[in-house]
Amino acid sequence: MKEQLPINDANIQDVDRLIHEPSRLIIMAQLYVVQSADFLFLQNQTQMTPGNLSAHLSKLEDAGYVEVTKEFIERKPHTALALTKKGRAAFKEYRRKVRQFIEKLPE
Amino acid sequence: MVTNEPNLKEIERRAYTSYHQDGLLDIFASMYILGFGLGIFMDIILDFGFGVIIMPSGLVAVALPLWIAAKRKITIPRIGFVKFRTGGTTKLTAIFIGLMVLGLGTFSVFTLATVQGESRMWLDLIFQNGMLIVGFGSLAVCLLFGYSMGLKRLYAYGVLSVIALAIGHFMGIFFAYILIALGITVMVVGVALLISFVKKYPLQGERAIAD
Repeated sequence: MKEQLPINDANIQDVDRLIHEPSRLIIMAQLYVVQSADFLFLQNQTQMTPGNLSAHLSKLEDAGYVEVTKEFIERKPHTALALTKKGRAAFKEYRRKVRQFIEKLPE
Repeated sequence: MVTNEPNLKEIERRAYTSYHQDGLLDIFASMYILGFGLGIFMDIILDFGFGVIIMPSGLVAVALPLWIAAKRKITIPRIGFVKFRTGGTTKLTAIFIGLMVLGLGTFSVFTLATVQGESRMWLDLIFQNGMLIVGFGSLAVCLLFGYSMGLKRLYAYGVLSVIALAIGHFMGIFFAYILIALGITVMVVGVALLISFVKKYPLQGERAIAD
């Protein structure tokens, strides 16, 4: 027989697990508060290794949450990372669900 | 399951302050203060005339391109490049424009009143308490910028300014000396921050060697 989850638990099970992973959650939060940032800035803010950060960014890019723009600034290659509209919406939805779950917990 | 929501305000504040931990803002501000101090010094001691206008303007004209170049050469290669959302910048610009309008408005009112010859007493009062007025004005500016930029050391600068200028007022120390001393203090803090920043964030190549 399938166990019936209380309503709060059922909601929290619906959160976007791609975002919910702590490292990716930090990356999403960092990009959420800025317009765009480069790889080095994210690495410094998140304290992740380049390989780790790169792997998580690839997953977020594949999901369409992060867009990578390559450009030249003063003849030097520069990679800007930013949340897409879909990424921003997904992060807002994630916050809403987590907040709703936490707020309904007893003190 | 981890259900702690990230503190976005704190993340935003940390991202913003990390960009101003290089001490360049302090060095730039100190050059401006020193410019005023040296300008007054030139005008009164050396009887130069326009020092109070030329020195700060000249220093800003030199320091501003240097500051931008230093951000590009020192800060960005070490902590990376970030574009902040426009909200914070708009708030800061609004405060800055508000202060400019307030200053110009006050200046215009007093100029007009002086021309009409009705404010001799007010002008005397302002000149007699000039250092206190500048001190409390500096405190207000530092508090506003410190709050909007999330830089707590600006509060300390504000308090230091008001204390130094109050001491100058009550002990009769020449205004320019106080400004020069304040400028040197802020410059020393800025240079110390810059050295600490460069050590904390070595360039990528240097970091790899250190690791």
